[in-house]
Amino acid sequence: MSEQSALQIRNVSKVFELGGGKSVQAVQDISFEVEQNSICVLLGPSGCGKSTVLRMMAGLETPSDGDIVIGGRTVDGPGQDRGMVFQAYTSFDWMSVRKNVEFGMKINGVPAAARAERAERFINLVGLGKFADVYPSQLSGGMRQRVAIARTLANDPEVLLMDEPFGALDAETRWLMQELMVNVAEQTNTTMVIVTHDLEEAIFLADKIVFLSSHPGRLKEEIKPAFKKGERIADKEKVVKLDGYGDLEAHLMRLMREEGRGTS
Amino acid sequence: MERGFGSDVLISISRVLGAFAMACAVAVPLGVMMGAFPSVEAIFAPFVSAWRYLPAPSFIPILLMWFGTGEAPKLALLFIGVIFFLITLIMDHTKNVRQELVETALTLGASRATVVMKVVFPAVLPDIVVAMRQMLAMAWTYLVIAEIVASTTGIGAMMMRARRFLKTDEILSGIIVIGVLGLLFDLLFAMLHRWAFPYLRKN
Repeated sequence: MSEQSALQIRNVSKVFELGGGKSVQAVQDISFEVEQNSICVLLGPSGCGKSTVLRMMAGLETPSDGDIVIGGRTVDGPGQDRGMVFQAYTSFDWMSVRKNVEFGMKINGVPAAARAERAERFINLVGLGKFADVYPSQLSGGMRQRVAIARTLANDPEVLLMDEPFGALDAETRWLMQELMVNVAEQTNTTMVIVTHDLEEAIFLADKIVFLSSHPGRLKEEIKPAFKKGERIADKEKVVKLDGYGDLEAHLMRLMREEGRGTS
Repeated sequence: MERGFGSDVLISISRVLGAFAMACAVAVPLGVMMGAFPSVEAIFAPFVSAWRYLPAPSFIPILLMWFGTGEAPKLALLFIGVIFFLITLIMDHTKNVRQELVETALTLGASRATVVMKVVFPAVLPDIVVAMRQMLAMAWTYLVIAEIVASTTGIGAMMMRARRFLKTDEILSGIIVIGVLGLLFDLLFAMLHRWAFPYLRKN
């Protein structure tokens, strides 16, 4: 393999105990790799366990079986090397945007000067330069997600994990944020794993799509959007017009439909 | 009467604030710990819940027996009158801190202790101040009970003295003063809330 993998998921299963002797299998024997500096999108219908897989990568859930390896170390609990952005807003409301972005660095002992400089850089990167000293409650939903992204990136993780990060945003904010993520990936060389159920979002962002089937979540197909020819294009209009975009979307729709059959 | 009304009022205020400060000093850390750590809750919750159902004034005889007739029994009554409610309220508010905030801090590399100190506590602090504001009103109730039953000083005792001389006006003015003081402290708490948590202001 030419590309080095940042993250390996090896035969991972997850069973949730519901109490009273009942249990549910959320994820069954999933294995895949996330290449260094790539954007990997976990796609699938609701109930396919994609969020569970992401939470296990973050160390917020423990696999029932198998293991997850990052940079040669087996994941055992959450840590600074795997930053996570949630769908719900997670800004610390009592701190300014700047303090929010500095938070991770502060608890990890980064000196004040370096902290301020890095915070400035990432606040500008996500386009919040004018709002650095404002409280998050004064920002719109999209801007709050930008704070969360800047905060996570400023903490210098090896992998950025995102759980439906734009799910709560309106349509135009959503694709602006998607374009922002492509730019961020290009400028920071961060490995990203993004969970979504949105086909367009998956095709636009992904260097690789990992499609999971539902009940229980199993790996159905790994897809590299070949039509992008290995390029990242931070312009949604351009991507939509490329040859092969429609074919891939149709293919993913078919996969979704197969999964939906019988469950709804 | 050699003692003025003013000194009775000051004595009452100092009793309320003294006992309430002590109750908060215990209830805030304990309530937050119980809300943040199920193991801590498991240790203290049965005790705290049981005490909440015991009317504080029922302890007056034993408090008088143990602490004599000085300031101690009055402060103790106020203390046990508010602390168990305060602990429960703070614990419940702490449990309501959104899990995503905790998980965000963990994935930024925070330890459990850091999460509690730097995320859970500041997140719940505005609710703690609201709970304190509510419970301070209750502290006034217990103060008056303590002063009527077992005191020669304070607003409550003053009202009981006035009763002996059938001075209805003094009794009524005692009630009004208690009401005004309550309102004043409530306002102070509202101002504290506004000043301490500017980020909660709606534009």
